[in-house]
Amino acid sequence: MAPTLVTNSIRQLRFAHREMTQQELADRVGVTRQTIHAIEAGKYSPSLEVAFRMAEVFGVRVDEVFHYGKAGRR
Amino acid sequence: MSFREKTAWVTLCAIILVSLMYWFHVPSLLEPHPGLWVVHAMGVSLAAYLVIEVVAHVVLRMRHPRDARLPKDEREQLIDLKAIRIAYYVFATGALCGIPVMLHLAGAGPVAMAMAVFMAFVLSQIVKHAARIAYYRRGA
Repeated sequence: MAPTLVTNSIRQLRFAHREMTQQELADRVGVTRQTIHAIEAGKYSPSLEVAFRMAEVFGVRVDEVFHYGKAGRR
Repeated sequence: MSFREKTAWVTLCAIILVSLMYWFHVPSLLEPHPGLWVVHAMGVSLAAYLVIEVVAHVVLRMRHPRDARLPKDEREQLIDLKAIRIAYYVFATGALCGIPVMLHLAGAGPVAMAMAVFMAFVLSQIVKHAARIAYYRRGA
């Protein structure tokens, strides 16, 4: 499978939100902790619905959580 | 290791264990009435498999009650679909190649044909659960 160009700021956002754990985020989004870990590590690109739920949890826009293209790479 | 990965390991080990027990007796196909033997062996193997699966899953659920209650999320469903797709190709290839081989080796008996299809099915299930484990370990 080709490497994804989708990157994210989940880790930074978690720490900015009182050091939210992956498990807490997973519970609020409705996925497993392993899925949060896979998304955070860039191994799995979530559906739009999960992406929007994550943004909602952090109280930001989706494009503040996920970035696309080489410019988004860190 | 996630709960789902553990269940995949349990199922994989159960299938390998039971199919080894089953295939260990394959030479009995050469006996006068292999059809009866095969039906009996399949029944015993299926029962053994179900017992192992049920006991192992009950133990896993007792150890991980929270994870066991959660429905599969989208990544886990995607992993299942990917694994099923690979297993389909294994089953189709195994059945299509296995039948001519069985015809050649064991004659044109219906028991040999059934064994070929069954062997392909078991192999496809082993591949499916191995693929699930690989995808879980890789992330998706």
